[in-house]
Amino acid sequence: MMKESDKIQGKNPFKVPENYFEDVARKIISATVEAETSIKPEVRKIGLFHRLRPALAIAASVAVLVLLSYTALRIFLPDNKNGKMPEISLTEISDSFLDDIDIQTLEENVDPTAFYDRVPEVSNSEIIDYLILENVEINEIYELL
Amino acid sequence: MSRPDQDSDITKLLKTDINRGFKLVVERYSSKLYWHIRRLVILHEDADDALQNTFINAWKNISEFRNESALYTWLYAIATNESLMLINKRKRNATVSLDDIGLFFTSSMEGSTWFDGDEAQVKLQNAILQLPDKQRVVFNLKYFEEMKYEDMSKILKTSEGALKASYHHAVKKIEKILGGS
Repeated sequence: MMKESDKIQGKNPFKVPENYFEDVARKIISATVEAETSIKPEVRKIGLFHRLRPALAIAASVAVLVLLSYTALRIFLPDNKNGKMPEISLTEISDSFLDDIDIQTLEENVDPTAFYDRVPEVSNSEIIDYLILENVEINEIYELL
Repeated sequence: MSRPDQDSDITKLLKTDINRGFKLVVERYSSKLYWHIRRLVILHEDADDALQNTFINAWKNISEFRNESALYTWLYAIATNESLMLINKRKRNATVSLDDIGLFFTSSMEGSTWFDGDEAQVKLQNAILQLPDKQRVVFNLKYFEEMKYEDMSKILKTSEGALKASYHHAVKKIEKILGGS
């Protein structure tokens, strides 16, 4: 069957208007080569502006966002004229700790040697007397000595 | 049919005088590309639009071509894409049905004005229209333009093996349709 269609392979059933190819070539050249070469300098300037418009729009949007963020920060953050962190004394720090801490925790964490020089000296005899009063056996006392 | 080496004069001219070079491109390729497009889109007005868009696209991207190897396959690729886009757009609009070319050409002004085929040609065109769009491209390029598979591969970005198989199946389908009618 394709052999039958082979007979018509070379024949073209489609028609075109008279002088179509000359006319379309002229239109194409007019829309391409001649359009490019006929652009006037003033139009080129405007063209540059139009080419920059997207970049300018983005830059303007970023500037507005930065301004809004800065304004929001100034409104919602506390006023600090010096721009520095407020100073807090050691007394204030310690007082705040003491407000929260219990006496047992404090005693556990106190260095016993810190008050060493204020502890009065006690003799052995005074210790023995104390232990006897506490009903400790005298034999046990002698073992400790 | 142009072979790539026959365009060496144009490619040289495009590098030295792009305007004169492009005019030569239009002169040498407008007819060839028109018929390639027309066989795909069928209607003259659509082919006219697609042809002009093809050259406008080529002009816009002419600097890209300077790095390409062959003007011929580059132009055919642009023309094929323009044709397929137009066909898809037409399918979406569904205002023109070309399912039966014969009926269309005998009943419409377009048909009576721009189609001058006998019964055998109408049958063949109808059969070709039954092929999927890309397979139709392959069939047309091989059957009507006797294009080498090597060049077709560059145009359609498909392997030569796949194109050969596609053409073989297209022929079988058309033979079956023509045999059935």
